[in-house]
Amino acid sequence: MPAAALRARFLPLLHPVTATRQRFRAWWQQRLPRTDALLLTQRNVYILPSRAGLMFGATVIVLLLASINYQLNLGYVLTFLLAGSGVVSMHLTHNTLRGLTLQLRPPKPAFAGSPVVMDVTLGSTGPARYGIGLRTEAGPADTLTWINVDAGGQAHTQVSFVPPRRGLHAMPVLTVETRFPLGLFRAWAVWRPAATVLVYPQPEQPPAPLPPAHTSPSETATARRVSDGGEVEGIRTYRRGDPLKLVVWKKAARYLETGGDLVSRDTSTAARHELWLDWQQCAGLAPEDRLSRLAAWVQAADRGQARHGLRLPGLEIPPDHGENHRRRCLEGLALWQ
Amino acid sequence: MAVTMSPALRWRNLPRDARDTLFLLAVILWTVLPHVGHLPPWCIALTGLVLAWRAHLAVTNAPLPPRWLPIVALATATALTMLSFRTLFGKDPGVTMAVVLMALKTLELRARRDAFVVFFLGFFLVLTHFLYSQSIAVAAAMLVSVWGLLTALVLAHMPVGQPSLKQAGSLALRTAALGAPIMVLLFVMFPRIGPLWGVPQASLAGTGLSNSMNLGSVGELAVDDRIALRVRFPDRSVPAQRLYFRGPVLTRFDGNLWTPLSIDYPITARNDPLETSGAGVRYEITLEPTSLPLLPLLDATPEAPSLEGMAARRREDLSWAVNRLTRERLRFTAIAYPDYRLSQEALTDRQRQENLQLPDGVAPRTRAWAQAFRQRPDLAEATPAQLTAALYRHIRTSQYTYTLTPGTYGEADSKAAIDEFWLDRRQGFCEHFAATYVVVMRSLGLPARIVTGYQGAEAADGDGFRTVRQSNAHAWAEYWQEGAGWVRADPTAAVAPDRIFSSRSLRPPPGIVGGALETMSPNLVPQLRSLWETLDNRWNQWVLNYSRGQQLDLLSQLGIDAPSWQDLAKLLVLTLSGFALVGVAWAWWDRQRQDPWQRQAAAVAGVLRRLGLPALPHQPPRQLAGDVRARFGPTGEPLAALLMVAEHQRYGREALARPSRAWFATLRTEARRLQSTKASSEAAPR
Repeated sequence: MPAAALRARFLPLLHPVTATRQRFRAWWQQRLPRTDALLLTQRNVYILPSRAGLMFGATVIVLLLASINYQLNLGYVLTFLLAGSGVVSMHLTHNTLRGLTLQLRPPKPAFAGSPVVMDVTLGSTGPARYGIGLRTEAGPADTLTWINVDAGGQAHTQVSFVPPRRGLHAMPVLTVETRFPLGLFRAWAVWRPAATVLVYPQPEQPPAPLPPAHTSPSETATARRVSDGGEVEGIRTYRRGDPLKLVVWKKAARYLETGGDLVSRDTSTAARHELWLDWQQCAGLAPEDRLSRLAAWVQAADRGQARHGLRLPGLEIPPDHGENHRRRCLEGLALWQ
Repeated sequence: MAVTMSPALRWRNLPRDARDTLFLLAVILWTVLPHVGHLPPWCIALTGLVLAWRAHLAVTNAPLPPRWLPIVALATATALTMLSFRTLFGKDPGVTMAVVLMALKTLELRARRDAFVVFFLGFFLVLTHFLYSQSIAVAAAMLVSVWGLLTALVLAHMPVGQPSLKQAGSLALRTAALGAPIMVLLFVMFPRIGPLWGVPQASLAGTGLSNSMNLGSVGELAVDDRIALRVRFPDRSVPAQRLYFRGPVLTRFDGNLWTPLSIDYPITARNDPLETSGAGVRYEITLEPTSLPLLPLLDATPEAPSLEGMAARRREDLSWAVNRLTRERLRFTAIAYPDYRLSQEALTDRQRQENLQLPDGVAPRTRAWAQAFRQRPDLAEATPAQLTAALYRHIRTSQYTYTLTPGTYGEADSKAAIDEFWLDRRQGFCEHFAATYVVVMRSLGLPARIVTGYQGAEAADGDGFRTVRQSNAHAWAEYWQEGAGWVRADPTAAVAPDRIFSSRSLRPPPGIVGGALETMSPNLVPQLRSLWETLDNRWNQWVLNYSRGQQLDLLSQLGIDAPSWQDLAKLLVLTLSGFALVGVAWAWWDRQRQDPWQRQAAAVAGVLRRLGLPALPHQPPRQLAGDVRARFGPTGEPLAALLMVAEHQRYGREALARPSRAWFATLRTEARRLQSTKASSEAAPR
């Protein structure tokens, strides 16, 4: 981290061109309004010759010189046909993007370090458009997601990026580009989506064992324990109407062999069982690592369908379970301080 | 466990990469194929092998060979080229190397950059064909090549799914078709300038002067637009058809090659054959550097022009020799006498022998034809002048064609070249006509010789200079007439202007198909031939012979006085800037452009606001109609109904493509009526 910071600090001295470029890019992007729906027009589509385009230009010049020197009228025809096609391809490349509409669907929350999927819908009112590539602006150039848009139709595609830290993040800047039809020009547009994505802390890997469950006094906890794997175990015989996913198949198989009955996971016991995931239980870790461990625990407790509460400095979420509760806990972890 | 699959099915089941590679290989093969005649056998074998191997790799999805292999192959090919041609430079070795490079590069298609190298090498290879031939057939074949290469380029930029070749091909065709107007504009207006530096040109002869003439070996004449000289007539002008600048006079003929006499007989004051009469014409020549030690002076220039550091000498045959090559531009003044006699009492035995010399076995059929021609009753007692006139008539009436691309003659038997031209194919340019004329005259025992030089000049520019280009090079003839001396004969001029390039003529014995066609429709074959010849003629006129002369003519027709190539360049730049401006204007207009429905919605909102309704931009007509009803009650009903009509026009089952103007007019009238009733109802209570 300090090395990277140092590098960033001294970049203007080490690589003045790169630094100026970065600064210009940042300034330029600041000027772009953030929006979740973008219509590409003359004003926000840029176009420049690609490296292949420069090569093509050199080829055309060589052909022209050969035609002049050998006085070949058909050589002129070839040269000018290629030049004309090149000029037309510039317009076609630009037209591939011009008039395209881009729309971003609200993104789902994700964990830091794992990819966030951005659902983008491209719409075209005009003719069919081919070879449109999307990528995050910061990502490497070869990570383009390619897509075609039919005439007057829509196309869906996904672009993903990996958020490095937890918190509420703005969506990364996207570039949409094309080189269709001849690859001599690269037209591109820069898009700053307005949507934000909530990023949970990266869960600890491998997960630490869950803290011991806090049992209430009325509890007769003989058949229950919290396993090392974070699973809350409590079983009872199968009752009609139990959902299939509650059946503990491994155990059921053994019971069936010995003439027993199907067994189900006993959720009612888990519900009575209270688990506190506490900041204090992660003593000795850096704050971010604590959050990571807590995130892993929330996941594990949720998988085990245990009632769990979350306690952070300045934040306490009473024990509960279910999807909404899990989300609340993770949000709390993501946005803490 | 042989899996039998029909080829079509296999092709359809190929993975995308393999199919694209096979397509590119097919295009390369098509591009290289017409070169087979110019390539050494090892190159053909190597190219075929490499392309076949690459196709196999593509079909079996095998990895490409290691990088050293193409490099080793290239080194070997370079060595073999050296061995075959003894040089790496020049046309044939260059083409050989380009073909080998192209084939080997297909083994290296690793990155996008490699693919582009293949495409661009392909375009270059297409150009090399034009060094050998610029015929319609070659042009058509190469058009297919360019289309194929563009299709492959388009395919490379359609990364999604498996686009069909047809789709990519039509997209490529569309790109090229849209580019065609630019091509035509540039072709017409791009100033034709001479070669920028000297290039070795082998078998495609350029027009221009040389010290020898080899009939038949030149199948196609490249029009060389370099300037040979500029001439200015300070006193009075001379019509272009009388401008004959004399170069080497070719008297000796060895059956293949016409050359000047090797011995240069000096002229003394006593035996000078030149007699001039009438008024002389003063002229000033600026001569570009040439490769021959002679001055192309106007017929007839008796006195040497004054040249610094150089001595000019008139030869017996009226050509002017200089004692060294002119490597710099020369400028001099001389006086010509258009009326002259190149005469002496009689030819000496030596001269007679030189000008009647005809190797044995050359053009036997033409010689027999000449004897038969002479036997015609009207020509029994003819003088050389009458014979010449009869020959002109023969040329005019016997369907001879003047063309710069007659094809080669005498490939089977070089001695029969003249026979093939004169009696069979009858297509040629000035050299063919002049040489045959001389052979016919000599075979009849009449002394004759070929004169080469320049004929004609462009119209005078602003400073009075008239340009003579290498393409003005010409060959004509002279015959000996007792008493009159050497008389000029220009059989090419006999192919009358309206007949030059005209259609019809030669009828080779019909083949099986031709014979069948002939029996079915006796007119079809001549008609088809006539059509083809018209096409070929237009090709020659408009494409191959389109040069600076035509460009400048075009400018004159556009009303520019004394045009120069700078004017042409200016016009081109102006036209291109004009197009760019139109483009900018369109872009500006496009930015202002609004959806017609949005425009109508804004206008409707304006009308309703005048009635005192809020009419917010996001409200559809249905909501506006509701507002109207709420506000005006039954009096507003017609207006509300109109708004509902708009709703149907925009979103209903019978939606219109564009908003209706008539509807808007009714709406406005209705709104005005409503306003007036509102005003009167408000006024009434008071």
